[in-house]
Order: sequence, then C-alpha cells, then structure tokens
Amino acid sequence: MATSILDLRSDRASEGAAADNLRLVEGLRTGAGWAYEELIALFQQPVYALAMRLLDDPAESSDVVQEVFLKVFRNIGNFHGKSTLRTWIYRITVNEAHNARRWFFRHRRREVELDSDPEEARNWKEIIPDNGRTPYDVVLDSEQRAAIEAALGRISPIFREAVVLRDITDLSYEEIAAVLAVSLGTVKSRILRGREALREELAGSLKPRPALRLMPETAEKMS
Amino acid sequence: MSCENVQERISLLLDRKLPARERESMLAHIGACRACGTRFEMMQNQVAMVRGLDQPAIPPQLAARLSVLASHECERTLARASLLARLQCWAARVDLAFDNLMRPVALPFTGGVLSTLLIFTLLVPSLSFSHDIRGREFYTAPAGKMVTNPWDQVADADDDFPRIETPTTAPSDYYNVVDMKIDETGRVVDWSVVRGELTPDMKSIIMLGRFQPATEFGVPTQGTIRVVQSCASATVRG
Ligand SMILES: [Zn+2]
Repeated sequence: MATSILDLRSDRASEGAAADNLRLVEGLRTGAGWAYEELIALFQQPVYALAMRLLDDPAESSDVVQEVFLKVFRNIGNFHGKSTLRTWIYRITVNEAHNARRWFFRHRRREVELDSDPEEARNWKEIIPDNGRTPYDVVLDSEQRAAIEAALGRISPIFREAVVLRDITDLSYEEIAAVLAVSLGTVKSRILRGREALREELAGSLKPRPALRLMPETAEKMS
Repeated sequence: MSCENVQERISLLLDRKLPARERESMLAHIGACRACGTRFEMMQNQVAMVRGLDQPAIPPQLAARLSVLASHECERTLARASLLARLQCWAARVDLAFDNLMRPVALPFTGGVLSTLLIFTLLVPSLSFSHDIRGREFYTAPAGKMVTNPWDQVADADDDFPRIETPTTAPSDYYNVVDMKIDETGRVVDWSVVRGELTPDMKSIIMLGRFQPATEFGVPTQGTIRVVQSCASATVRG
C-alpha cells in the first residue's frame, strides 16, 4: 500500500512540445492567423479554469481571461523563452487574478455561501470530459466535490494558489516557482501547508468512507 | 526518521520530490507506522480528489469574444510587422470590398450584398478600411466629448481624470497614453497603448464610452482619439 499512485505521473515536457512552442511564438510575432487561433484553442480552457479556481466568479474570471490573452498577444515580443510559454501565460493569469477585486474578498464571501445549496451554486458549470489529464482518474460524488471546492475556498489564497497550480493546473514545482516568482523552497512549503490546511478543512466535512473509486487500469499499474 | 519528519514530507513524497534514499526510508516507515500510514493514505486521497475536480468549462460567449480578440490582435500585429504584409493584406480586403460594391445593383443581389457588408462590419469592425485623411477640410475628427460618461462623477472635478486629445499631441512621460479607434457609430472598436498602460478608467471608456463620430463629407466615419491619463492615478498593476 506504500506505493503512491501519484508516482505514475508521466513527464510530459518533451522536446516536441518545446519545438511547437517556438513555432507558435514565431507565428504570433509574425501575425500568422493560425498561431492566434491555436494559442486560444490551447490555453483558453486551462486559463479559464485556473482563474475560476482562484476567483470563483464566472464574470470576473472571464474578464481576467480576456485581459490575459490581450497581454499575451501584445507582449509576445517580450517573451524570450526563459520560461516555457505555458509558465509565462499562467504567470500573467495569476497576476491578473491578483488584480481582480474578488481575490481579496472571496474568502469571506465563500463562507457566507456555504449555507446555500451547493448544487444550485454550481449551475454555471457544465461538466466537461477531462481528457486523460492524469493517469489516476477518480470519480467524485457531488457531496465530495462540493466539500473539496468549499474547503479550497476557505484556505488562505496564497496556499490555495499553490495547491491549484500543482493539482489542478498540473504544473511542476519548478514551473510553479516561475509562475509565482518565488523560490522552490517556498513552493514546497506552500503546497505542503496548503494541503495540510485543506486536510483540516475537510476533516469535519467529509465522512470517512471508501471514497475513491480508482479506474481499473490505473489500479493494475499500481503494482 | 521520526513520525513528524515523515508527515512533513508526505506532500513531497506524493509529488516525487524526494531523493531515492529518503524516499525508501519514508516508504519503510509508512509501511510500519500506523499513524503515518493513515496520514499518507488520507493525503493521497485528498490530492487525488482535488485533481479529480471537474474543470469549469469556458462560457461560449467568452470563447467567442476571445476569437474576435485573436483576430483583432493578429491584424494589429500584421499591421506592425511589415508594411508589405500590411499592404498585401489590405489590398486583398479592398479587392473583396470592391467585388461586392461593384456588383450590379440587381434587386435579388442587393439584400444579400448589403447584409453581407453589414455583418462584415459588425463582426469585424477593424476590417473596414480606415479613411486616413486627417487634416483635410472635409474631414472632422471625432468630437472629444463622450456622449455617455461611464463615471458618475464630474470630469472637471478631478485632475487625474482621463483627457481626450487628438493623436497628434506628443505623449508625455508622466501619462498613460492610449489611442482609440472610434467607429462611425461612436463606439471604440480598437485601441493601442502608445505609452504606459491601459488604466481601469481607460477600460471603462473602451467598454462604455460613446463618442460623436468623425465625419467625412458630413457622413459619419472612423477616426482616432488619444486618451491621456496621469500615471499617478492609475492603479499599479503587476
Ligand atoms: Zn510514524
């Protein structure tokens, strides 16, 4: 039981992706229509998801996303490939989210909302297939989902940010350090403290149960 | 390794951030110690649950706005990238526009042509060609006053308030300067930051401002205004 299922994460940073990035950046700089479309297609969903997890407000997240792409398009000339394209884009996203008013107010608002029906509060969300993002798909019931989302909303924004970038945006520690412009040690500590805070928040709300149904193929790979 | 040490490192273990030897001794401890084993399982489940959250899907209106934004920005880059590319690009558009215009005004076609032009102009405002003949007698610049003021306050009361000028004024170091393209209906259809940054007030102007459009032979047309706001009044943005 000691083997972590998380050990199966595949390293997806490949040379192919880096070459694609370069091609894309070059296309953006020269005003190639396909590059603009491709950048939007590649990043609109993850950038929106990140903004939503940080701000929890569809309208404000939409504003942030537009601002992010505007900045990306207008500043692509300043992108020198010191970081990867996605790190750069997420850095802009996090900065824009920090600028959004709700970043500071969300904490209190979230607590008020806890009394409302979690299903109703999540009307905006259409469930979309999460195409093989992780090799260990879990199926959450609505109660678990609501509990996790509520717990994420209650922990300090600084820790939430680190946890979201790690476990939802799926960035490496090094990428998170670049996105947040902090040291690797700080990233480690924020993720640890964020997860601990989340555990404490969840301790009261989730009943102990055989919670996770791991997909069969994942379970086989575990040994 | 003490239980405390182990529990502090569970997060790193889950993320494969531990050196091999440390990892082995962690796993050995977790296998043997019930408290740490339980903690490890809990953390593992919790991380998997966070990762299992559904991604909020992007709203269709946002997706549509992004693709308009992309085409605007692509055009803008092209325009700056090279004069040649720009000329080719515009020549193609002029051809297209003239193809449409020069069609015989046969009745069956008129409706189609007009609606095509209308949709063309509505969807891609920046594609309509600009009449860059400023300075000639028959052309008037957009009036520097907003028909609808996005703020409640009185403009004169505040020095930091954005000022509207003509694009010929030289940008000063202490101001954020943004040129805005005003279409024939008086709305802002495109903008470019000349210096500084786009301030929140300027964004309100872009979104909410309405201007008296420029005219050419008395007919409303596109024009450009320059919006200037003191840097001191802008919110500092990352
Ligand atoms: Zn122990």
